[in-house]
Amino acid sequence: MPAPRRARTRLACRLAAVAVAAALALLPVAQTGDPLRPLLAWLAGLGLLLAAGAAWHPAALLGPALTVLLAGYTVALLGLGGRVHAWAPVVGAGLLLFGELACWAREAHPLVRDEPPATKARAAVLAASVVTALGLGALVLLAAGLPAGGALARLAVGVLAATATLALVAVAARPTATR
Amino acid sequence: MTRRPAPKIAAYAGVAAVALLAGLALGRPEPVAVAAPLAVLVVAGLAAARDPELDVDATADRDRAIVGDEVTVEVRLRAHRAVDRLELLLVVPPGLEGPGGAGGVPRTPPGSPGGTGPGRSGRPWALAVTLAAGEERTVTVTLACRRWGAYRLGDLHLRAHDRFRLLCWERHLDLQAPLKVFPEPEALRALVRPFETQVFTGSQVSRHRGEGIEFADIRPFLPGDRPRSVNWRATARRGEPWVNQRHPERNTDVVLFVDSFLDVRGQRESTLDLAVGAAASLATAYLRQRDRVGLVGFGGFVQWLQPGSGQGALYRLLDTLMETQVFATAAWKGIRHLPPRTLPPKALIVALSPLLDQRAVAALFDLLARGYDLAVVDISPLTGAAAVDGEWGPLAMRLWALQRETLRHRYQRLGAAVVEWTAEVHLQQVLLEVETCRRRAVPAPG
Repeated sequence: MPAPRRARTRLACRLAAVAVAAALALLPVAQTGDPLRPLLAWLAGLGLLLAAGAAWHPAALLGPALTVLLAGYTVALLGLGGRVHAWAPVVGAGLLLFGELACWAREAHPLVRDEPPATKARAAVLAASVVTALGLGALVLLAAGLPAGGALARLAVGVLAATATLALVAVAARPTATR
Repeated sequence: MTRRPAPKIAAYAGVAAVALLAGLALGRPEPVAVAAPLAVLVVAGLAAARDPELDVDATADRDRAIVGDEVTVEVRLRAHRAVDRLELLLVVPPGLEGPGGAGGVPRTPPGSPGGTGPGRSGRPWALAVTLAAGEERTVTVTLACRRWGAYRLGDLHLRAHDRFRLLCWERHLDLQAPLKVFPEPEALRALVRPFETQVFTGSQVSRHRGEGIEFADIRPFLPGDRPRSVNWRATARRGEPWVNQRHPERNTDVVLFVDSFLDVRGQRESTLDLAVGAAASLATAYLRQRDRVGLVGFGGFVQWLQPGSGQGALYRLLDTLMETQVFATAAWKGIRHLPPRTLPPKALIVALSPLLDQRAVAALFDLLARGYDLAVVDISPLTGAAAVDGEWGPLAMRLWALQRETLRHRYQRLGAAVVEWTAEVHLQQVLLEVETCRRRAVPAPG
């Protein structure tokens, strides 16, 4: 029965995406003290709502959902003081996992029958991306601990990296006609 | 192929930029650690994406079929570069049914006039495959022919994705493979016989007298009569030579008049489905007995075929018949729009009409006034019409039925045989009723 299986894949992706988003939204609430908790709870609720919307249909909600989840985590960082939060790589990988699952849910259209190798390849790429994201996040945290220049140099590198990322995306992602 | 970015590129890049700026503003490494996977995925994915190179071809295994047959469409793919996910979308026209119920018989509310005809956009069938570099793949799609009509197959949409689903490439191919689906002809043992025959030899017994098989009368011997025609029993009784007279076997001209102004769709079939199926069956049966058959498709598009005989005429007629569809127009159409040779003198005109559109009704009156031998099969839209609830619904249906009955009486008073045909009744039974009705009817003065 191919049609129900396709519908199940879609539903599973949606539920998994919402579950990941819920975990990402509740993590800062659980780890933060009283002054910031009400604000984080509101952000978590809003993030969860947007995440569910992004997983169910409108592609335009993916960006706002990720931003609100990130905002919740960033606010939570303010309450941590000077110590480094070791869960940051998990949060990064979680955001990536949520985004990919939401996109997969839209991709798994009930009308399109996926051959099993295509589904397996998709799952493998997703798993590899998440593992790589965890490693990359950990690497960034480790690199941040190393002494490397002053604050101005770090600021320059950061601004340059952000600008270069946006420029590359703008150039590479434009719609073009090829052969 | 046209390349399009996925919406998630903007989302990932935007969130990564915001996180990097937050990290700079707060002077903390955690937002950077959160942003890094998103930014790296976008940058690495875009850098690694390559335009797919695909050769695509699609063919159907036949161009003619009968309702109920299956047609196989083969889509051949050859990838010069690896494609992580390729979506194939084949548009299945209404009237054909793909695997999993794609396409299918067009659905309109029962009883609604002007239903869909073949050729409107249909429901697609789609498959996603993975292709390695240099791989050739043939995808076979079996389409079941559910409704008669002329179709175009091969409306194919392709969408390729890269590994990280950041870009997609789209391409549309319209291979325009023609397919004609003919209705299955019904076996007809008895046909409507015309009042007048033509001059060529055929299978219809003429009302005139001449050389033939059927006995007609006897008359006194005249010089030139053949001795084998002498009726010896009458000659012995009357004392002078008498000969037999016979009815010759002649062919006839039959024109099938298909009213395609409106189509009323019921639960199973529509009035136009019944008309086209009956016209195909009648044409096959008349041509088998060496009559000449012509066609007038009278609707938004007026199409005609002059009467012809033989297998070639049958194929021409069926091909023309398959292109029949409802075309909404307010322009007035009349018999005068038809070429004179389309309706030859002494031809039997068998009209297949739901008698709903005034233009078709007036055209049939016009034919009667011109003295044509007309038989009308009134394909009843009442059975397909949706039941109307409420106080006035049944009354309206009864008034409609009475109005239609009055119209049939008007035709009968002018000499036409009119029989109502509902979908439950076999065409053969309707033809027998028409024949019975014609025995009682008086031909219109010609």
